Amino acid sequence: MREKLRSAWGLYLYFFKIGWFTFGGGWSIVAQMQTDFVEKKKVIDSQELLDIVSVGRSLPGTMIGNVAYLFGYHQCGVLGGVLAVLGIITPPLVILSIVTLFYHSFRDNVYVARALVGVRAVVAPVILSAVWKLQKAGSALPKPLFYGLMAVGCVLSFVFQISSVLVVLAGVAFGVGYHLMMRKKEAAEA
Amino acid sequence: MIVRILQLFWSFLQIGFTSFGGLSMIPLISSEMLGHGWMTSTEVSDIVAIAEMTPGPLGLNCATFAGIRVAGVAGALAANFGMLMPTFTICAAGAVFFEKFKNSSALKHVMTAVRPVCIGLIWAVIINLCLENYWVGGSVQPVSILIGLLGVYLLLKRKWSVPKVICVAAMLGVVFCR
Repeated sequence: MREKLRSAWGLYLYFFKIGWFTFGGGWSIVAQMQTDFVEKKKVIDSQELLDIVSVGRSLPGTMIGNVAYLFGYHQCGVLGGVLAVLGIITPPLVILSIVTLFYHSFRDNVYVARALVGVRAVVAPVILSAVWKLQKAGSALPKPLFYGLMAVGCVLSFVFQISSVLVVLAGVAFGVGYHLMMRKKEAAEA
Repeated sequence: MIVRILQLFWSFLQIGFTSFGGLSMIPLISSEMLGHGWMTSTEVSDIVAIAEMTPGPLGLNCATFAGIRVAGVAGALAANFGMLMPTFTICAAGAVFFEKFKNSSALKHVMTAVRPVCIGLIWAVIINLCLENYWVGGSVQPVSILIGLLGVYLLLKRKWSVPKVICVAAMLGVVFCR
């Protein structure tokens, strides 16, 4: 029990730390989780991280809350999930409270505006660094199929502006077909 | 006061359950805020801009802004909590399900197909962000592009951490961005 409390508290602290840098609609936490959990601590692999992101993104609610909960739950149950969520929302809560109180001076401050232009210029690279590593993680799918699905996902979302929930669901539908095919193949081999 | 706090909770609970993140929730946020008289329409567009720039997702940032305005810190907490209810209910149930069936061959196969689609989605996010930040109002932003390229170099070649890169970018922005 004590052990569990300690690791749940550790999750709070970790997500509190990365919460200050959740720019770009929360996608940048994926980059931070990739470096810290996949590369350094090795508690999950790239594929598990992608699973968490896919599930978290396609359920209702805020993505970072869902992603934090799923990871926290994976590490140490409900308590871990709840503390991870509280950790990740504390920094935005604090920052926005301050911004709200100084709303006018914040909105009209030139230096704040310039700093934020700088920050926004690196949000895409931050997310790119994550996707780059996730993409290299490998897959059971043959390469052309893997990149084909990737392109379809990208085009559906970017060109046709289809909501990401539906895009993920299309992936699930394809996955069900893939499963049936694989089961047939396994049955034929057996 | 308590009535207002409950109203905030209820409004953001609805926004939370019907939104799947990102800009899709703006119309609903806007109608809830204007309907209760919690914000003016200028404030809604300002807060959308501010919420996009500051860390944290749009929905939670709007929740904090409206919450503090309407009922102080308690209001902000109630609104945030409402916004997080889908996470504590649907996602919590999803987590149980997911951990339970993680090793079944069906879920493994489905996720094998979902992963590349999800990577494609992230690429779409990246393209959109590039268009928004390097191509503002129909003109190319050379300073932003240079900061972005530096970011790619620092992250991928020099293995800098995300917070460090973001702080450097903020400083470069103060010095070089107009």
